[in-house]
Amino acid sequence: MTTLSTSPNAPGRMQAAIGRLFDFWPLVTLGALVITTLLLLLPVYNIIGLSFSGTEAGKSVFENYAMFFSEPYYYRSLINSFIVSLSATVLALLVGIPASYFVSRYNIWARSLIKTIVVLTFVSPPFIGSYSWVILLGRSGVLTRFFGEYGIPLPSIYGAPGIIFVFTLQFFPFVFLLVSSGLKSIDQSVEDAARNLGSGEFATFVKVIAPLLLPSITTAGLLVFVAAFTDLGTPLILGEKFRVLPLLIYGEFVNDFGGQPVLASTLSVLLLAVTTGALLLQRWLSARFSHATSAIRPLTMQEPTPAKRLAAAAYVYCLMAIAILPLVNIVISSFLKANGPVLTAQLSLENYRRIAGTISRPLWNTILFTSTATLACAVVGTLIAYIIVRRPGRIGALLDTIVMFSYAVPGIVLGVGLVVTYHHPPFALTGTALILIMAYFIRRLPFSVRSSASSLQQLSRDTEEASVNLGAGPAVTFVKVTVPLLSMAILSGVLLTWSNTIRELSATLILQSGSTATVSIEIFNEVVNGNFGVASALGSVLILLTFLPLLVLFTFMGKNEEALV
Amino acid sequence: MTTSVSIDSVTKRFGDSTAVDNVSFDIAKGEFFTLLGSSGCGKTTLLRMVAGFMRQTSGNIRFDGKIIDDVPPHQRNTGMVFQNYAIFPHLTVFDNVAYGLRARRRGKAEIDREVKRMLELVRLDHLAHRRPRELSGGQQQRVVLARAMVIQPDVLLMDEPLSNLDTEMRIHLRSEIRSLQRQIGITTIYVTHDQEEALLMSDRIAVMSRGRIEQLDVPHKIYAEPKTLFVAGFIGENNLLPGTVIARDADGSSLIELPGGHRVRGMGGVDAAGQPCLVSIRPQDIDLGAPGGARETGIDGTVTDIQFLGGTVKLLVEIGADKPITVSLQGRRGMDMPEAGSPLRLDVPLQAVRTFKPEARA
Repeated sequence: MTTLSTSPNAPGRMQAAIGRLFDFWPLVTLGALVITTLLLLLPVYNIIGLSFSGTEAGKSVFENYAMFFSEPYYYRSLINSFIVSLSATVLALLVGIPASYFVSRYNIWARSLIKTIVVLTFVSPPFIGSYSWVILLGRSGVLTRFFGEYGIPLPSIYGAPGIIFVFTLQFFPFVFLLVSSGLKSIDQSVEDAARNLGSGEFATFVKVIAPLLLPSITTAGLLVFVAAFTDLGTPLILGEKFRVLPLLIYGEFVNDFGGQPVLASTLSVLLLAVTTGALLLQRWLSARFSHATSAIRPLTMQEPTPAKRLAAAAYVYCLMAIAILPLVNIVISSFLKANGPVLTAQLSLENYRRIAGTISRPLWNTILFTSTATLACAVVGTLIAYIIVRRPGRIGALLDTIVMFSYAVPGIVLGVGLVVTYHHPPFALTGTALILIMAYFIRRLPFSVRSSASSLQQLSRDTEEASVNLGAGPAVTFVKVTVPLLSMAILSGVLLTWSNTIRELSATLILQSGSTATVSIEIFNEVVNGNFGVASALGSVLILLTFLPLLVLFTFMGKNEEALV
Repeated sequence: MTTSVSIDSVTKRFGDSTAVDNVSFDIAKGEFFTLLGSSGCGKTTLLRMVAGFMRQTSGNIRFDGKIIDDVPPHQRNTGMVFQNYAIFPHLTVFDNVAYGLRARRRGKAEIDREVKRMLELVRLDHLAHRRPRELSGGQQQRVVLARAMVIQPDVLLMDEPLSNLDTEMRIHLRSEIRSLQRQIGITTIYVTHDQEEALLMSDRIAVMSRGRIEQLDVPHKIYAEPKTLFVAGFIGENNLLPGTVIARDADGSSLIELPGGHRVRGMGGVDAAGQPCLVSIRPQDIDLGAPGGARETGIDGTVTDIQFLGGTVKLLVEIGADKPITVSLQGRRGMDMPEAGSPLRLDVPLQAVRTFKPEARA
């Protein structure tokens, strides 16, 4: 008995170990693993499984892939996707890097207006930009007809060139914002040293600044590439006979009534392979080129010669004018009397009167789905961030990898995966609001996790330990100490999630049924039906809903536009 | 003496490295016990194991005789004060102090009374409804102290609580903490790397190095009778000289020959005659004698440098060893200031010379 009193007995220790399994954090970890498995891993697993399943017995499991790579109709779409995405990436870099450099370094006028335009362009849904360009440059577009009267034919907005044009304008803000923040992390002394050693401004940029910006540039390039590669709305509106991979997935999926979307799954796996590869490449590149510099005195504003200043300003203003044109066009055309796809020059509120009756349902849907998903993201994202940062280990690393993987899964692929997984009873969720909320939630989860995790990393563990030491258990400590300390990060995460989710189109197109249509779906339907006036009114409402939370973020929470990327 | 906390053969390993290596000691009720050592010596790891934030690899920790190894940190009833305050920035001073009582679901009236009493004790009652960011560093540390003491913990744990404060505030707060601790009679484990703090505040000090306790004793013994070479080098200033044992006497003292042929008599753990040893002599224990004359012990040397520091005067005396010996004199009105280059005879009393086995350094 003396040994028992001096050393803890085995059953007691075992009981304590079992007791710890039911502690707060192990339970949360388990919950997080279950949720991510059900909403992400299982759907992806199912589409991969379907892609290897034959339509007829006895055929190779690679039958679907063999068919894809032998039929021009299919493999052309992959080539087309690469063509438009790579072109858009190169163009966005070419357009965005100088613009960012000029705005960051030269004292050109109206810099805050320029930044506002960049933000507006960045957050506006790509498909709205696309159809706005159709209003302007389509066959009976405003500009097409205007220049046509003078005998000047404008290039067509349809097909590959139009898609590349819209993607470039839509996604150059990635480059602008990332390069701007990259420039901020370079110390003035680096530039001074290069100039002092005899390099001119251009040589300094090419030999010193650009290499230091390489992590920002490669990240921006790959983000543009992935965004362009996975976008469905733009090719749907502008593609006509030019087919890209997401378009084919959507087409196959819609045509496949009630059956097993085998082909759509195969195409989805290919799309997923490309995006996963691109994101792995991005991680590798940014680790490789990272110089881990931090600026004690960031690059200062230069005072170029008047001619240089004027030239830089002219370039930036031109770019911004073209970038903002589709949005301005939407807002103006929403107030014009429409005659089908043709807008008249008559001012009227008719479009808004027409949507007043029909918008309430989709608007309510949009707000409900977005809010629910946003809240779920905030709660689950913060809990997962806590596990990753505060309880590192194998399971934490696994969760981190799963969450980062969800970043690589395109909306359309997730949509197909969720339908495949939750199509049959007892879990027949297709067509419900829940399945849309699930999709929105899992797509934004990595962003919530990342934003909470980075503020948690800066937070000393001591404060939470003090709470535990004073007698509050893990769950109470999380609610009473961790969450209040992270509140600003969580709130800004909520605003960003809201404004990103509200304009979602690709997953929604796959997952919605008539009764769960959102505002973006309504816009899309009106565009397809040629009711451009009504579409513009709806589009203006959507842009307002997207921009409002960002306005709160920038004005009241001291964030700047770089929080977006 | 009733034991409040006992550490029983506690070891903590991180992979291959051992942070705390088989440490055992008992702390009495109401004692102010200090773990002193440089960073990485294992003192904070040991404290965090007592708090329950870490679990030892082997050994037991007991509070009042009960093993608490399986008690999670929030049920251990310890009060911890952190190096960087760990104040709850979103709560007022009052709510910070009330936090632990609320976690214990005490009644509102009791919470009000206890928090007020504690805030009066740390003289912050007039700031009860301020936010932490409106307080100075010293005030924040007093809030944290009140917060840790109000729950009447079994043991108060302090992890370098003063190291983020400026010198003046640090000197002020250490006497305040000590008097509060005596007043309340709370058992305290105090972790610091500041030996002055440790010597001034503690009932007992455990000097730690590389995960082990080098010496555990009351402050004046730690200072005057270092048991190991590490303690001799770590606490206060010391001249460390290599030597050889010439003879050992019946009273336990030894006659030692230093480089340059000087001889001193010292006490400590050395073996038989003919063995090499190390000798430590505190600069202020050396007396200046008259040069010349043959005596059994004494060191002849030449002053090479004089450092006048106001209250003390330091002499560097070349004695023919690798390094000069430092001698510290009290700077007094009308004192005779030695001159550089002048010969000196240094007398060292038996009690001032500590001898160590040279391998003790390993």
